[in-house]
Formats: sequence, C-alpha cells, structure tokens
Amino acid sequence: MSITLKALLKSPWVFHLSTGSCNNCDIEILDCLTPRFDVERFGMLLAGSIRHADVLLVTGSANRKCIPRIKQVYQQMPKPCVVVAIGECSLSRGMFIHSYNCPLPVDKIIPVDVYIPGCPPKPEAIIAGVVKLIEKLSAKPEKK
Amino acid sequence: MNRSDILKDIGERFKGEILEVFDKSPKRVYIEIKPQALVVIATYVFKNLGARFNIASGLDTHKHIEILYHFTFDEINFLISFRVKLLKNKLEIDSLAPIFEGANWIEREICEMLGVNFKGHPELKRLLLPDEWPQGVYPLRRDYKEWDDSSIRDRGL
Repeated sequence: MSITLKALLKSPWVFHLSTGSCNNCDIEILDCLTPRFDVERFGMLLAGSIRHADVLLVTGSANRKCIPRIKQVYQQMPKPCVVVAIGECSLSRGMFIHSYNCPLPVDKIIPVDVYIPGCPPKPEAIIAGVVKLIEKLSAKPEKK
Repeated sequence: MNRSDILKDIGERFKGEILEVFDKSPKRVYIEIKPQALVVIATYVFKNLGARFNIASGLDTHKHIEILYHFTFDEINFLISFRVKLLKNKLEIDSLAPIFEGANWIEREICEMLGVNFKGHPELKRLLLPDEWPQGVYPLRRDYKEWDDSSIRDRGL
C-alpha cells in the first residue's frame, strides 16, 4: 500500500457537495457527524475546503448549472481521492430522470467509487458504505 | 373590507373586463379577465384595495397559455386569482414589474419557461436556465422535445 493511500484511509477527511438535492441526504450526512452516529471514530472529519479533503460526498441530481461546478471541484481535489455518491438522485436521478434539467447521472460526470442508495439513505447505510470502501481499498492498494 | 365587499367592488368597477367568476371556496375565487385590462385591475387591487401580490403562475393548457396572478388579503384569509388566457400564436402581455417589484423575477421565469413576452418589463433576461440552453426552447410547454443528444434517459438496465 502506498503511503498516501495509507494516510488517506487512516483519517479520511470528507467534503460535502450538494448538486441540487432536496437536502434530505445532506441532513443525513450531517446526522452522521453528530455524537449519536459519530463517524469521527473512523477518523472522518468534515473538511471546509475541497483542497483539504480525501473523500467527496456527492448528493443530488446534478442539474445543468451544477455539472461544470462538479467537474471543477473534482479537479481541485488532491489525488488519490474517493468519490461517494449518496442517495437515489445522484445514483440514477430517481424521479428526476426525465427532467429537462438533469441530463446525466453523477457517475457519467466524474468517476464514482461507492454508491449508497436510499431516499434518503440512513446514517447507518452511509457509515456501512464508507467502511466497506475503506476495507476494499485496504485489500486492493492498486485502486488509483 | 370583507370578502363580499371586495368581490362586489371589483365586479362593479370592471364589469366590461371580467369574463368569468368562479367561486371555488370561502378562501378562494378565480376571476378570468381580458389580457388588456390586467394592468388596470392589478393596480387597483394592489394600490386601492391593499392586496398583497403573492405570486404568478403560468401553465400550458393545450389551446392557451394561462397566467394566474394571485393576490391575497391576509387579514381576512382570502385569495383572488386573476386568470389571463393568451393565444399560442400571440404570447404577449403587459408587465406588472413597473407597478410592484415582486412581479419582476416571476415574469422572467415565466418568460423563459413558457415563452411569454412581457411588454414593458425592465430587464427581461434569463433567470434560472443555464447559459447553453438554446433560444426558443421552452421546457414547460406541452410540445417540449428533448434537444440534448448527449443526455441519458434510462437507468442503464
């Protein structure tokens, strides 16, 4: 395992990007950070800037005005990095699949590593998804 | 003023301009008016009767484009919706934005979503749609067709 990936998995700092969601997934992500679910025991911290983050949490259905901004945020992220799509909207756009303003799902815009379905997913599901990701990356170091 | 006074006042003052009154419920009345009388009636209801301009909403029925201007009387919990029907080949109506500022952004939104031209609007430019959206394509019309070939509309199954 490379030293950067090892450092990333020790304490993944997350950045939260909402791309036109209804804010339910955002509330669940914030729930994860509260003492009740407490993802800080896995070393996760909410980073204020994308340039300090290792993990990008994407919620929402990626509307047309947001697509260039998602690409910009992804370019500014230090690599190696991990992208997590949270919620049905960012997976397949859910009920907005035929909307004129949502042409592409998030994984056709930037590469996505983990998909967490649900509308909104429970905090337990989000934690389980991220823990699975950490396990998978520890097993296969040549991911990125 | 109570509900019946307001309705009676509007009914008598604008007798020639009102086409239909639909009394839906104690809280709500729809009044269909002629498009050319909109500015006069809206000014009177807003300035003299003291109503609040809530919002306007536009919709595409198959024959017409309708715009509903909702005015509320908050003290007596009463809402009047003035309905204007515009023919699809002549989508023009006078703007209300010079009278009250609250009509400014909703008229810009109706203009880009349904393609109604608001005459006399101070700044009728795009509000919500992205810059690369083609001119002359209105997403909330019934005859809207997908214009972007790169969009994906299936779930990949």
